[in-house]
Amino acid sequence: MDKIEISLTINETPYQMRVLPNDTLLEVLRNQLDLTGSKEGCDEGVCGSCTVHMDGKPVRACLTLALEARGRKIKTVEGLATGDALSDLQQSFIDHGAVQCGFCTPGMLMAGEALLSTTPGPDEQTIRRALSGNICRCTGYAKIVTAVAHAGNPQAPCPDCRTQTPYLQAKE
Amino acid sequence: MRLPRFEYLGPKTLEGALDLMATHRDDAKILAGGTDLLVRMKKGLIRPKTIISLKALDELAYIKRDTRENRNNILIGGRTLIADIIASDLVQRKAPALSRACERIGAITLQHFVGTLAGNILQDNRCWHYNQSQFHRSGRGACHKDGGKICYARQDSDRCNSTCQSDGATALMALNASITLQRKGGRRRVDLADFYTNDGIAPHAIESHELLTQICIPIQGGQSAYKRLSYRSAIDYPLVCAGVLLIPSTASPTEISEARIVVGAMGRSPLYMAAASASLGGKKLDDTDAFQKAGKAAMDTAATFAVHNVGSTLEYRYAMVAEMVFQALTEAGEAARETGQKAANKGVQ
Amino acid sequence: MSEYAIIGKRMPRVDSRAKVMGKTKFTADLNLPNMLVGKIKRSPHAHARIIHNDTTKAKAPPGVMSVVTGKDTAGVKWGVFAYTRDQQFIQTDKARYIGDEVAGVAAIDEETALKALDLIEVEYEILPPVFDPMEAMTMETELIHTEFPNNINIHVNIDTGQVDENFAKAHYIREDTFVAPEESYFQAEPYAVVARFDSEDCLEIWCPNGGPHMKSKPLSNAFKIPLHRVKVRKIAIGGAFGGRSEICPADYICALLAKKTGRPVKIKFTREENTIATRQGHAMITTHRTGVDQEGRVLARETTCYMDGGAYSSTGPIATSVPFLSMEQAYRMGSVRYNGYRIYTNKPIRGMIRVHGRGFAAGLDTQLDMIAAHLNIDPVEMRLKNSRQQGEYTSTKSFVASCAMDETIHKAVAKSGFSEKFGNLPPFHGIGMGTNSVQTGFPMGIRGGSQAFIKFNEDGEATVMSGVVDNGQGNDNMVVQIAAEELGLLPEDIHLVSADTETTASDPGSYSQVSTFVGGQAVKIAAQNCRAKLFDVAAKVLKVEPSTLAAKNRLIFVKDTPEICIPIKKVVRISLLNFTSVNAEGGYWPRVDMKREWVSNPYGQMCEAFSFGTTIVEVKVNPATGQVTVLNATAAQDVGYALNPLVLEGQFEGSIAMGGQGGMLTEYHEWKEGRCLNPTMLDYKLPLACDMPPIHSIMVESIDPKGPYGAKEAAMSIAMSAAQAYAAAVSNAIGVYMDSFPLTPDKILAAIKAKENKEPE
Repeated sequence: MDKIEISLTINETPYQMRVLPNDTLLEVLRNQLDLTGSKEGCDEGVCGSCTVHMDGKPVRACLTLALEARGRKIKTVEGLATGDALSDLQQSFIDHGAVQCGFCTPGMLMAGEALLSTTPGPDEQTIRRALSGNICRCTGYAKIVTAVAHAGNPQAPCPDCRTQTPYLQAKE
Repeated sequence: MRLPRFEYLGPKTLEGALDLMATHRDDAKILAGGTDLLVRMKKGLIRPKTIISLKALDELAYIKRDTRENRNNILIGGRTLIADIIASDLVQRKAPALSRACERIGAITLQHFVGTLAGNILQDNRCWHYNQSQFHRSGRGACHKDGGKICYARQDSDRCNSTCQSDGATALMALNASITLQRKGGRRRVDLADFYTNDGIAPHAIESHELLTQICIPIQGGQSAYKRLSYRSAIDYPLVCAGVLLIPSTASPTEISEARIVVGAMGRSPLYMAAASASLGGKKLDDTDAFQKAGKAAMDTAATFAVHNVGSTLEYRYAMVAEMVFQALTEAGEAARETGQKAANKGVQ
Repeated sequence: MSEYAIIGKRMPRVDSRAKVMGKTKFTADLNLPNMLVGKIKRSPHAHARIIHNDTTKAKAPPGVMSVVTGKDTAGVKWGVFAYTRDQQFIQTDKARYIGDEVAGVAAIDEETALKALDLIEVEYEILPPVFDPMEAMTMETELIHTEFPNNINIHVNIDTGQVDENFAKAHYIREDTFVAPEESYFQAEPYAVVARFDSEDCLEIWCPNGGPHMKSKPLSNAFKIPLHRVKVRKIAIGGAFGGRSEICPADYICALLAKKTGRPVKIKFTREENTIATRQGHAMITTHRTGVDQEGRVLARETTCYMDGGAYSSTGPIATSVPFLSMEQAYRMGSVRYNGYRIYTNKPIRGMIRVHGRGFAAGLDTQLDMIAAHLNIDPVEMRLKNSRQQGEYTSTKSFVASCAMDETIHKAVAKSGFSEKFGNLPPFHGIGMGTNSVQTGFPMGIRGGSQAFIKFNEDGEATVMSGVVDNGQGNDNMVVQIAAEELGLLPEDIHLVSADTETTASDPGSYSQVSTFVGGQAVKIAAQNCRAKLFDVAAKVLKVEPSTLAAKNRLIFVKDTPEICIPIKKVVRISLLNFTSVNAEGGYWPRVDMKREWVSNPYGQMCEAFSFGTTIVEVKVNPATGQVTVLNATAAQDVGYALNPLVLEGQFEGSIAMGGQGGMLTEYHEWKEGRCLNPTMLDYKLPLACDMPPIHSIMVESIDPKGPYGAKEAAMSIAMSAAQAYAAAVSNAIGVYMDSFPLTPDKILAAIKAKENKEPE
């Protein structure tokens, strides 16, 4: 079986590469491009750790053939920051303690960014629904939900929002 | 899990796709969203030589209302995304059961933007003795669906008892939907109720060179509802689900003229509950007692089909057939009464 | 306001920036030059003698670089203790569960490796398997391990004396049996290991671990090479929850393949392998017999627990003990007798898991509620009458130096409105509470202590070397916080070198809840020693006594006149110019009873501190479906001192999810003849964001006299009390005391129906 040449854009960089029909987008990202931010947690579309954006929409990279990403714009967790400047959501995850082991974090961020791009200022229920396809075993989701709610949202500052105070704060 | 090797074909047009399907027949599988197909391939349950992708067939992505020549149907193209159906105002208003069913497929980030309704209808039957890794299935005899002669779900069963857990199929069958199957040089229209074979191994009456190009939902002036049960509010396939349609009588709008009750995830096919449906003819739209009886009747019917192969316990799933049917009927009944009320008010004005 | 600059603050974790950018490397993310793909051949039979294991065909295809079987292992066996050494890394004579390792393969890519696996021909003679522990004890067929009669792997017997006498005095006695099947860890990260032999023929290995030093020793034993030649490297770890505590056969197989091929090898588990071939939690059948006096004080208790241990010992002696120990720490008992039996079955291996026996713990509190109801005592009062108090000894003679159990009860009760709600909620609406305790550390002999090193760099920043491992809970941040506090630096000035057996000294690892108490303490002492050196130099420059100095915000200053100060960077440079080193070490060894042993002598000081917690949960049950909606959860724990409330809240919340929401409502395995039917994330029902309740965390601070800043274990007891509270709340909502967990809707509905049938209205 021959490799097929495809071109696609990943995190705004155009790539020309050769892939096998049975290569998934996740395998190509991780093994060929060393973009290992997208994780393989279940490999059957359930856990959400491999979520990337394809033309702005969240998809499971483990269930996407690399060939089907041909000509598409792919965004991975590595593409969320602009240089050293984190996205509001990334910063919010840090500030609100939404990251524990960090394995589900890339998928959570991609799900969260997808929500925020269509629904600014989502309420808690909307956030919980939007994240319901991403499994986290560490956090109980509370801080992840808070982080999405408060990302770049000056309307609802909390003591953990960086916009309010520097990161070292006294206990109550 | 590595996908087995295959040849990938990406036709640009419907005609091209049908040509390829005619050529490759049984050697090929159709790839739409991939949620069902690619996982089965990863587990080694199927090894198609060729994959024909529908990715480029934008001509099959549409939701529209067909009112030509006194018709009144919703037409949904075979490659329409789950996300687009959820977002459709038309579906929401005229086929709420389908809207609800689509919302409960997987999760928002779980393939709503690549998964298709046709893919959901054509989703293979499931069984927790079958949908397992190659390793799991080794070291014991193959089951019926895996090419063997054993059923691990029902002892001594001479046939496969895999379960149809499609949300979309259950809702659509309740909505009296039909589908268009197109092949090179021809097409046929099949009522969804006739599409399911009750054969666990090959659950759909579709030829390998036929493509599901369109779903047609008649707008019949009634109200539909869909209820399903799973342990978690997302991701899970249903343990039990029920789609219902209640059409009020034109003569006395508070009465049911026709009812359709379909129960899913309890058998090899979505189960149309003929007796339970018929029992509601002439009943009031808020006849709780009749709804409960219909639920019980549906439960009794479903109980003869179900096996313990998708989770929870059989006893619980039986009981929940009655409950899901009851809940769906209550919701549809309420919605129909509200609509009737509004219409009556308008009439007065 | 505390006196600390950094400790006790809501500090975002130092590792989170790399994690949100996708830069953090987990084991499976490593792509080393020339690396091979490793795969493991596993037994598809639950109990089978290996007659023949032929790898000839498997070695043939181009690209297959090595195939190893039990013959290549020299028969080495692994066991956490000398008396539990029962597991070969690759089986030579028989397979004992579906998933047991029988061969390993290294190939140039995954496809080739999988092809080679299929070509390995193993001939088995099927033996009768046994899957039920009670059957396993009586069956006459071939023992799973011939040296363990009746398939009893471990028997822990604890008896304080006076048990029968106290039962005779009891006003009321209840005996109830509670059952719960096995649960799974489902760490987000599936297990993976990368190994290579470096230019000096040292084994270099990366894998998720609960303690790198706990991996290096067995590898050193297995390969018969000195400890210094085993370099377990630091790598990000995607959760552990007790399931990464010991060496995994894959570690050995991967290293063996790397040795045979002279190339790096990566083995990456599928989700299914992570479920069946790492560890699971024990299934348990627990009988509690409790006798109380008229006021409800426990005079005597006898607990017997049968645990399904699976195919091998794993951490068996510990896992058989901890459910009991948590109980005896949480509750005073006049006298107690415990018999814990861990029984071999032909199922996957069971180890320690965060909740340590949901049936055991939830059963105990359910029975307390039953007794309270019988005596007409309120559940809060019942617990306060029996709760552990500071200054007491546990039944097995551990002194409890700090304990604010009662305060956790009072605060959780106040916050949740328990007293107003209990007994006054509408039908199918319930509230329940649970209280529990956990050890800060296990007796670990020579590996019980931790040592840390700190070196200053000439720019005034510091490198901390510590064996502490971060499984995801935030231990790296804890170490940085402590070092920054003590050295007077900012967290960004600290570079952490940790969890690497080449560059760090021994440390007990993270799975005995001891990272902060022991590892953090060692770092604190090292930092204080280092600071003392800086103060000596600074004192000379500032012409004051060292004892008058303090350090904060990169400055050393005189406490009473802070304007007299000098930058730390300058002090470092002056030290170096004056031939004085600016580095230090520190170590901490908990003073436990070294004679205490899990089976042979389960008495004496277990560890230096215990944490105590209370969870209260309010639920609504849908009487038509049996489904539970959790309205809110309130968790209060005596954590000693909260070093970082932001991180601790996350631990509390995760504990509610794992112990309560998942552990008590949805998580269990289904089996068919030893085959796990739900090894995947689709079929094993982990809690989701849309189903979690709001969680209120309350940190109670008892300031432990030995803990760093007064800190001790934090949040694990919440996983246990959450299980108890969920069970109690559901029982309260439906008016039936439940004895079979988890409380899935089918069981709840059946209980509701049975009650309706019994008492028709």
